[in-house]
Parts: sequence; structure tokens; C-alpha cells
Amino acid sequence: MITITKAPPYLTVQDTGRKRSRAEGVPPGGAMDLFALSAGNALVGNATDLAGLEWALGGGSVRFGRDCAFALTGAVSEATLAGTAVAPCTATYARTGQVLSVERITSGRFLYLSFSGGIDVPLVLGSRSTYLPGKFGGAGGRSLRTGDSLALGGDSAVLPPHGFHCAADLMPHYEAGVVHVIPGTHRSIFDESAWGILTESSYRISPASDRTGYKLEGPAIVNSLGAIPSEAGCPGTIQVPADGAPICLMADAPTVGGYPKIAVVSEADLPILAQRRPGDSIRFESTTVEQSQRALKRRASDLNAIVQRATRAVRA
Amino acid sequence: MSHHRPQALPLGDSAVTIAFGAERSPELLQRIHSVARSLAAAHIPNVEDIVPAYLALTVFYDPLRASYQEMAAQLVSFCEQSGRLAESAIEPREHVIPVRYDGIDLESVASATGLSTEEVIRRHSGRTYTVDLLGFVPGYGYMSELDPALRIPRRPEPRPRVAAGSVAIAGAQTGVYPLDTPGGWHILGRTTTVMFDSSREPAALLAAGDTVRFERA
Repeated sequence: MITITKAPPYLTVQDTGRKRSRAEGVPPGGAMDLFALSAGNALVGNATDLAGLEWALGGGSVRFGRDCAFALTGAVSEATLAGTAVAPCTATYARTGQVLSVERITSGRFLYLSFSGGIDVPLVLGSRSTYLPGKFGGAGGRSLRTGDSLALGGDSAVLPPHGFHCAADLMPHYEAGVVHVIPGTHRSIFDESAWGILTESSYRISPASDRTGYKLEGPAIVNSLGAIPSEAGCPGTIQVPADGAPICLMADAPTVGGYPKIAVVSEADLPILAQRRPGDSIRFESTTVEQSQRALKRRASDLNAIVQRATRAVRA
Repeated sequence: MSHHRPQALPLGDSAVTIAFGAERSPELLQRIHSVARSLAAAHIPNVEDIVPAYLALTVFYDPLRASYQEMAAQLVSFCEQSGRLAESAIEPREHVIPVRYDGIDLESVASATGLSTEEVIRRHSGRTYTVDLLGFVPGYGYMSELDPALRIPRRPEPRPRVAAGSVAIAGAQTGVYPLDTPGGWHILGRTTTVMFDSSREPAALLAAGDTVRFERA
């Protein structure tokens, strides 16, 4: 068990989300930075899809109710365990009663805390992810508060040693602030100039951005059509309302929408976009679906490399 | 009956959108619902989700196991064949939803349409609707078609909170809010029917293609 001794302003339970309920209008949800959550799980010997904590907007602390390993991935933070600094992307052993304190997030937006055994909350529609707008999943469908306790699952047989960490070259290039985009399903109904504007300009993440979508500030993209008959979108879809200000749909976005879709961010690059904060810049680079699928396979093989190294570290 | 040839486009690297036409019509929507049901029943490997909509349906798949080209070719071929199938494996369902017509907007809808509240209720409950698609929030079904005399645009300013169970109209459609959410439709009444329950299987009461009648409670 772990207890939230000081909740940050935003804290939810997330796993890899719901992939089979879109027809019922349920968004996939799950961790905004799926790679960070999965890598965190691998570092503590978990299956990569177990639930962890998604943490944002400030500091806080967690007390361990049992001995366990944990790892911090995604956003970079200043953190201590019983007063000693905790390294990012590193399996760290905690003893019963010790307190992990996250002082602040220094770069990036979403910090992930993975614990050996994973967070054990009931599965809802096949996932432990919190879906705040629907008030389900996670801990009663809400953000965690100070005093909340969460059960952990049983440790796996393959617990990597204290100090096991993954090489930086296996992580996404968060700092670059560049993501690839595939032409969207309505690319052809936009003006000739639209694709050039999107891929040759720099945009900024608006303060109006959350798990549902990131509004982008920058050169307007002319949408002479306004609304269109609704159809499915997905996380990474860049849609353009009549005001010309693009919005990138994120994990909790509605499953269907009626704005033209000019582009979709490569799934492999979604963690990079997810980790941008309001005010940060972002650039979009043109790619194809084939290249994007190759990038996704490379990302999967990077994750697998972390899993393999963790397994070897256990045997060593 | 002649059909457009279904056309596939990638929706990112993990989904294919298959367009069936360019103009919205009840016939096109019915065809898309029917193909979506056939696809669901076919259990095609690596397919994760099927989302039907007005002009297209979107199939989500596992991009680590199937390429876009493979998936698109297989799905287009399936859609062309199922266009000729008379029956699909899964039948749409019929729902009757009891409504207490005491909504906050009943009076304003009556004055905007020039009808009495009694007539608004009679016309809303007097027909069978088809669930066009689900979206907006989990379990929210957009249903068509509303009596022409009841068609008014959505409210200029959405309300920050509409209670779950609210039965509402906008444009040519009606719907029931499954959760407490912001909403811009005109509320005619409420139902105790649970439209979405995450602990239920399936969680959503409605599926695209189902029919719904509202009964005065």
C-alpha cells in the first residue's frame, strides 16, 4: 500500500488505457506519455501496461506502506526518498514507512511514478485509468487527494536491482520539441497553403490545454468549411475549428468530432507533445503513415530493450 | 442501388477511416451501420475498435502487427462485399425510454416553435428515432430525426452543467445526457433510464443503428 501524504494539484491513476470501447463513446484515455509509463513499469520489473501515478502541476509526497521498488519517468523532477536525492529513470528501493517527496517538476509536464506490483484499483472497461469527465476508473473516478491510500499488486519475480536505470538514448527526444504529422483525413479540403503553414510555423501550447486536447497558438489555418459531419478522431488528431486555431486531441478527447482534421501526430511522437507545457513551442514535421509506423516499431523495440536489460540485470 | 466505392484514408498510424460518400443521408448512414455490424461480427485479426459515423467508419487496429496498406486493402475489400450482404450478424436493438416531460426548456421550446407544450411533448414522443452515432461523452447517442416543427438551433451559450438523464433536442436531433456534463441542447424532460454505466456490459445502453422511442412517464 502507498498513502498520498501531500497530493500535488493533479494526481491520477493511469495505465495504457481503453482500446476497445470507442464505439460506446469512451475515449482511450490512459497515460498522456505512454512511453514514460511503460518504461517506468519495465524499470521496476512490471509488465509494461500496469497502472502507475500520473503527477503534474506541483510537488507532493507519498509514504510507502510496504517495502517496494519505484521509478520516476516522464517529466524531470527534484525528488528525495527519506532525504536522499532520487535519480530519474532509476529503480529505487523504498522501505516501509519511508516518504518519497517530489519538490517540484523542473522540465516536462507529466511525471510518472511506477511501483513494483503496480497500483491495484478495479478494472473498469478493461483499464485502471482514471477518466475524470466520466468519473470512472482509477480511485473512484477522481483526482487523488491527501490521505488517499492505494493498494499495490504483488511484486513480479523479476525485480531489477536498486540503481538499475535505462540509458537516455532509449527515451524519446523530449527537448527537441519537434513531432511528426501524417496528413489527416480532411487534408485535401483545406487550402493549398494550409499544410505549409502547419509544417513550417512554430506553434505554442495554449494555457487552454489539458488531457482532452492541446490548443495551439500560432499562424491561423484557414478552414472555409466550418463544421463537417462528425466522424472518429484519435489522440494526436489536429483539428481546425472555424476560428483557424488548431487543437490537438489528446488521451481523453471525445471519440467523434465535427471539425476538419488536417493532420495526425505520429503515435511515437505523442509523448513529446504531451510533455510540452503551456507556453512551450512545438513544431510539426511532415511524414507518411509508413514512416510513422516504422517509428512506432522503433519505439516499441526501445521499450523492449529496457525490458531485456532489466531482465538481464536481475540475473546478473 | 448504386454505391460509391469505399475509399480508405489513414487516421494517424493506428486507424483507417473508410469514406462511403460525401453527402449525409439516412440511407448512407444505414449502410455504414450495417457494414460496421458485419465488420464487428467478422472479428478481423488486429482490429481493436470500429466507430461508425455519418459519411465514414473508422477502424482502429494494432500498428505493430498490421501495416496501413494491409489493413486498408483488407477493409476496403470487406466493405465492398458487405455492401451486397442483405443481413448482418448483429441486429440493431429497439429501446423504449420513459420521460417525465418537465424540462427547464420546455416552455421556451414551445414559444420558439409556436406550439403548445402539450404539442411539443406529443411530437417528441410520437416517433421512432435512429441512433446515428455515439460520441461527445460515453454513451451519448445522437438520434434522428426530430419532427420538423421542433427543429431549433442549439442554445447560443451552453450550460456549464446538464444533469445525467436530461432528454434534449437541437437541430434535427434528440439525445439523452448519460453523465453530468456541460451541454447546449434544449432540455425537454428527464428519464431514470441509465444510459451509461461503466460497470455494465455493454456500458452504453445505445449502439449506433439502434432505434429509440420516448414514452411519456
